[in-house]
Amino acid sequence: MAGLTLKHVYKRYENSGKKKKSKQLNPFAVNDLNLECGEGEFVALLGPSGCGKTTTLRMVAGLEDITQGEIYIGDRLANNLHPKDRNIGLAFEDYAMYPPLDVYGNVAFNLRAKGVDKAEIDRRVREIAPLMQIDDILDKMPVKLSGGQKQRVNIARAIIREPELLLMDEPLSHLDGKARQLMRIEIKRLIHKIQCTTVYVTHDQLEAMSLADKIAIINFGVLQQFGTPSEVYDDPVNEFVASFIGEPPMNILETTIIKSDGTFFFTFPDSNLKIAVPSRYYSVVSDGFKCKMGVRPMDVLIGGPDSKGTPEEIATFENLGDERRIGIHVGDMLLMLITEDEKRYRRGDIIKLEVREEKTHLFDIETGERIREKP
Amino acid sequence: MARIRLENIKKSFGKVQALNGISLDVRDKEFFVLFGPAGAGKTTILNCVAGICMPEEGVVKFNDEIVNLTDPAHRNVAMVFENYALYPHMTVYDNMAAALRSKLYREDEATIKERVQKAAKMMKMENLLERLPSQLSNGQKQRVAMGRALVRTPNVFLMDEPLAHLDAKLRNAMRTELKEMQANLGSTCIYVTHDFMEAMALGDRIAILNKGEIVQIGTGDEIYDLPCNEFVAQLMGDPQINIIPGVISESGDSYEFRFRIKDGEIAVPMPQDKNLFEKIRQAGFRQADMGLRPQHIKYSFTPEEGYFKSVVYNYESIGNKSVITADCGDYQLRMIAPNGLRIKIDQEIYVKLTVDHSMFFDPQTKEYFCRYNEEAIRAFVAEQEVK
Repeated sequence: MAGLTLKHVYKRYENSGKKKKSKQLNPFAVNDLNLECGEGEFVALLGPSGCGKTTTLRMVAGLEDITQGEIYIGDRLANNLHPKDRNIGLAFEDYAMYPPLDVYGNVAFNLRAKGVDKAEIDRRVREIAPLMQIDDILDKMPVKLSGGQKQRVNIARAIIREPELLLMDEPLSHLDGKARQLMRIEIKRLIHKIQCTTVYVTHDQLEAMSLADKIAIINFGVLQQFGTPSEVYDDPVNEFVASFIGEPPMNILETTIIKSDGTFFFTFPDSNLKIAVPSRYYSVVSDGFKCKMGVRPMDVLIGGPDSKGTPEEIATFENLGDERRIGIHVGDMLLMLITEDEKRYRRGDIIKLEVREEKTHLFDIETGERIREKP
Repeated sequence: MARIRLENIKKSFGKVQALNGISLDVRDKEFFVLFGPAGAGKTTILNCVAGICMPEEGVVKFNDEIVNLTDPAHRNVAMVFENYALYPHMTVYDNMAAALRSKLYREDEATIKERVQKAAKMMKMENLLERLPSQLSNGQKQRVAMGRALVRTPNVFLMDEPLAHLDAKLRNAMRTELKEMQANLGSTCIYVTHDFMEAMALGDRIAILNKGEIVQIGTGDEIYDLPCNEFVAQLMGDPQINIIPGVISESGDSYEFRFRIKDGEIAVPMPQDKNLFEKIRQAGFRQADMGLRPQHIKYSFTPEEGYFKSVVYNYESIGNKSVITADCGDYQLRMIAPNGLRIKIDQEIYVKLTVDHSMFFDPQTKEYFCRYNEEAIRAFVAEQEVK
């Protein structure tokens, strides 16, 4: 087992096809990426499609050249190591199993190719099979397996080599909702047991939040934030991270801050809604200051009969069974709130809206960067 | 707009019976959702309504008129597909106007302009009208596909997973928009999805399908609180409902539910409910599966009265809340917890079932059997539906 370190890593794909002769260079697919995964840590690379997360993983695996920068696996500089010498286990989205071999043969294939002796192979397969819950399907052919089973075999194949580093690229994206939920739990337990350093690529924030020790959020090849799930959820560095993490996403509304009687308030165009600005921000805001206010739907509340909250009309009401979601028009923007209150509201009902002021975030209107209080 | 009725529709593709006697009555102006796993027959039903697919048996009615032999063009339905199906060489404006320029539904250009602009305003895409589909994001493409359906006044809107290709953020936004739009339009809509949140959020009523048959039809409240079997109960809710196998037995003048845990067996008293007891008495004492949603299981990290010991199988933070999975030997219990707990896998945890939220199923047939306070819940569900 080893840690993984990326130092100022860049990747630029070369022009191909029609554009081959063009002098214009492609933009960086990965742009100055720095990451440090400790030994045994589970790190998720999270971002929208095309953000460079898979490219990063492929560079670590050695399937893609590094344009600039250094990748270390443990203390070894891996830039020029052949993929087979990197001692890495790979599990990708499509299972790519050998159809003429049964599950046992697929799991054992790599060790056979390396010439490990038969008894040892058998011992390792038998050891790993119960861990991945494939001990009862070892004699089945790949075509007979369900998607979940195929993915288990796929992961078993990756870990049987006892790699220093396990790399997974969207291993759950082919599975349906229920199977994905169950597999997520299994993967988490497995990694807990084998304590292998793991890098996991996904575009699904829920997967990243539930599995990873640390999440690297990437957009346009640039690392936005690297932190624990609760850090990226509670303390996002910018608007992108704030709206990418969480379901439903954080409400982000354009606001003008006004001062009245010594207190600052968030106000919104064409709306009566007025929310007090937390006093810790007083050093950075001023009367007439324009920015964006972010607040999670869980931190918007329905006030009781004595509430001093602003009366607002319900624009949308969704009963999801486990919880209910209410949408309120704030000018031409929509503010969402989540409640576990059993009451069924209807469109047009008036509720008193309260906001947990201390949970609001401020973002720069141009750059989307978080505006923080002065220390 | 129209009332859409299907009576005993059957359809097979080769050896596969895709639809096996489907009967539906979609009311005028209703938002009706077809929900079920992949391969349940949802899209085939939609195609039968559209006329793209001919049922081998059964009748499709628009209002009181049988339309089995009417070709798709003359049924006057508007379809929105998962993959948008826009004309790539036409601008957004022309895409939306296309139906109104067809022979059958021809309108003059002034009317077309007025309608397209109205639909564009509703879908918030007035600034996109001159663009080509290739210059649009996926969310914008889906808006155009919807807008194209809106320029007409069809008998029914048929939507086949229109939000499935969108990312989570956009899907949330479009879902709320769709609901608002339908409320403003007052149109009949049949909507296919495999996402339970979409089904719950959008549907006035939901039909649950499995293997070509209708399992249950009802409002979201009804299907969530009074599922007709374990299959339906497990479809609604995330994380899914816990199913705990056990035995209902007499204890004094009351009843208790006994179930196995990792080391041994425990009993919890059933909630006091005359109707519930009457049902149990009629059925005789018997084995039952208890269904209990994750939000109705309590936990503690120290021993407490009424809690039993278990170990943490997994702990997942899912944003605004987290899920603890406890290992109980033959089965696992999922429960909802707040964020930020320091929980380790395999640590001890103490668990309590709040039985007054439980529902019971027959362990053989998996059919719904009874639940606590059923009458009050039925009354509540009925009251919501009247509204």
